[in-house]
Amino acid sequence: MACKGDMPLWACLLFPSLPLDVFARAQAVPDVERPFVVGSGGRTPRVVAADAAAHAAGIRAGQLLSAALAFAPELVLRDRDGDAEARALAQLATWALTFTPTACIVPPDAVLADIGGSERLFGGLPRLAAHLVGGARALGYAARLSIAPTAGAALLLARADRTRPVTDVRALPSALAGVPLARVDMDDATRTTLREAGITTFGEAAALPRDGLARRFGAALVAAIDHALGAAPDPRPPFVPPPRFASRLELPAPVHDAEALGFGVQRLVQEFSTWLAARSLGVTRLTLTLAHERHVRQRGVPATVVPFALGAPARMPAHVLSVLRERLARVALPAPVEALVLTSDETAPLPGRNLGLLPGDDADAVEVPLLDRLRARLGDDAVLRVAVHADHRPELAMRDAAVGGAGGAPAAVPDAPRPVWLLAEPQPLAHLVETQPWVLRDGPERIESGWWDGRDVRRDYFVATTPAGETTWIYRDHRYGIDDGEWFLHGLFA
Amino acid sequence: MAAASPALAALLAHPAIWRGDDVAPEPAAVPSGYAALDAALPGRGWPQGALTEVVLEREGIGEIRLTLPALARVQAAGRDVVWIAPPHRPYAPALVQGGLDLARLVIVRCAVPKDALWAFEQALRAPECGAAFAWLPTHDERALRRLQVAAREGRTWGVLWRRPGQHGSAAAAPLRLALAPRDGRLAVRVVKRRGAALPRPVVVDVSEIGVRAAMPAPLPSFGTRPGRIAALTRR
Repeated sequence: MACKGDMPLWACLLFPSLPLDVFARAQAVPDVERPFVVGSGGRTPRVVAADAAAHAAGIRAGQLLSAALAFAPELVLRDRDGDAEARALAQLATWALTFTPTACIVPPDAVLADIGGSERLFGGLPRLAAHLVGGARALGYAARLSIAPTAGAALLLARADRTRPVTDVRALPSALAGVPLARVDMDDATRTTLREAGITTFGEAAALPRDGLARRFGAALVAAIDHALGAAPDPRPPFVPPPRFASRLELPAPVHDAEALGFGVQRLVQEFSTWLAARSLGVTRLTLTLAHERHVRQRGVPATVVPFALGAPARMPAHVLSVLRERLARVALPAPVEALVLTSDETAPLPGRNLGLLPGDDADAVEVPLLDRLRARLGDDAVLRVAVHADHRPELAMRDAAVGGAGGAPAAVPDAPRPVWLLAEPQPLAHLVETQPWVLRDGPERIESGWWDGRDVRRDYFVATTPAGETTWIYRDHRYGIDDGEWFLHGLFA
Repeated sequence: MAAASPALAALLAHPAIWRGDDVAPEPAAVPSGYAALDAALPGRGWPQGALTEVVLEREGIGEIRLTLPALARVQAAGRDVVWIAPPHRPYAPALVQGGLDLARLVIVRCAVPKDALWAFEQALRAPECGAAFAWLPTHDERALRRLQVAAREGRTWGVLWRRPGQHGSAAAAPLRLALAPRDGRLAVRVVKRRGAALPRPVVVDVSEIGVRAAMPAPLPSFGTRPGRIAALTRR
């Protein structure tokens, strides 16, 4: 027998309340007063999912919406959003890739992950199981977890709400025996025929001869049974995370105050962080777009776009979040916000962190780099680097460079003396008449350049010491002729 | 304080040994690059993990060049240098000439002094920042004490620069220097330090950096009166 680590072990995360969770997760605390219901839409809308408050009011999934409204006239209704559910599954699969190399989506409500190699890494199955369910809850989804040696069995056990983990393939037949056949994917005609033949559980069907079963009920049923029992290989297309991150979060109610967006932003950042981890990336530039209500959009008010950059590739939610929060606090909202969209604009490879050796080594306890904190509070243009620029004109020989941007090749620096402080504008010396002489220490250095762009200079630069002892950089302006130009102070040798 | 033997000198350099006739030992210091100045500073260099206050008689006397060798050392050790609210544009070519790595220099512009104070504290506290300079008008003792604590926690060499004419403050900073020009060189007076007082200023020649050695003779090619700015006197 192969060693334990080589055996595949599948975890199935089933999300029974997914239609509800895609809406409810934008709220920090569920509104217990008002029942929340997701309806099917269409001409005779039915209840697809109901939250705890709706349940307490007597509302059940499958009811006509009119009946539900009779139970609780004040209920909040949203139509089911299939796209949002699909996006949620993709997001959950992305997150699953942070602890397993293989994950797949099983529409409409499940994600499978091969955890065979991850079990020991997480310190045993119970801890891994807690990590899975807790992680899904942190993302805002209620999950039901089952574990089995085959993907098919894990899925069936989850659908049948049997959450006791099965780790040995030989224990599968007995574990699956009682699972109702209704949980196996098949068409309605087959299901009816089976029921009429008196076959209602997985165990009963699996006990029948396979060729007869295939002839009467189709090869699909036999394949499903063999896949679940591990008797036939069950290849599933692995989930590949999207190359660019973009996620939209609908808010349950319009938000008027940027501070109140914090929770929704936190959700998006968590999601973003898992995407980065799954792709071994860190983000350097991202954009948060605040979509306003429709009637405001129609008046021509554009969405509020908050772009920002980080000094170094970052992945930790706490890091990204603190920077975003600081920035959001300074955003003035022109109108209430209906939805949040977070997109990644620029990423860079960022190797994963090793898990902490000691219990105190918390990977999330990460200090936000100074540059990001400064820029979040003071603005991108307040925090900068200076760079040398290849130009002979002193005022153009330097440029401000963005922090975090890739530094270009350093330009050559002149041999001649240059002052530490350059004055923003050269100051005419004419009115600084002194009785004592300024002593010239170095020069002249002729700088003549820029005739092509209209900012031409023709100057003789000197290092001069003032009577008070300051060392200055001064020049004589020869633009209008030689030897009669005016004198200017351009820098200080601080 | 000449030691009898190198071995004894090494022993006495141990930070746990304190000698009353000498400057008190400091946990860590960045050598300034000027031997005379190092000798006057506690710990034989700019104090790391403490605030230094510098009072200037005038600007443009070599005050920044005095710090450039130490800043280059800080950068070479892999830590950033942050300048908050400098009074003029730090001129990149000069900084490169002075040995700075521009990729490790961050300039912070602040619209209001309150922001500058906040940024200074953040920089002092940040482990990735090895030296933080700020040009601040504040004399608020509580703020200065906070800055000193931040510098100690972040093990950052913090310098609080005063504009010419501004007074130093009595509080917090364990090291205070007063700079003045003297015959083309820089006189550094140690106004306050840990340990014994220093009666005489240290004179440092910073002209090695950026400016070529002073020319003894006035330039002949200049205007009507050699060595003087003719334009200034003619008008």
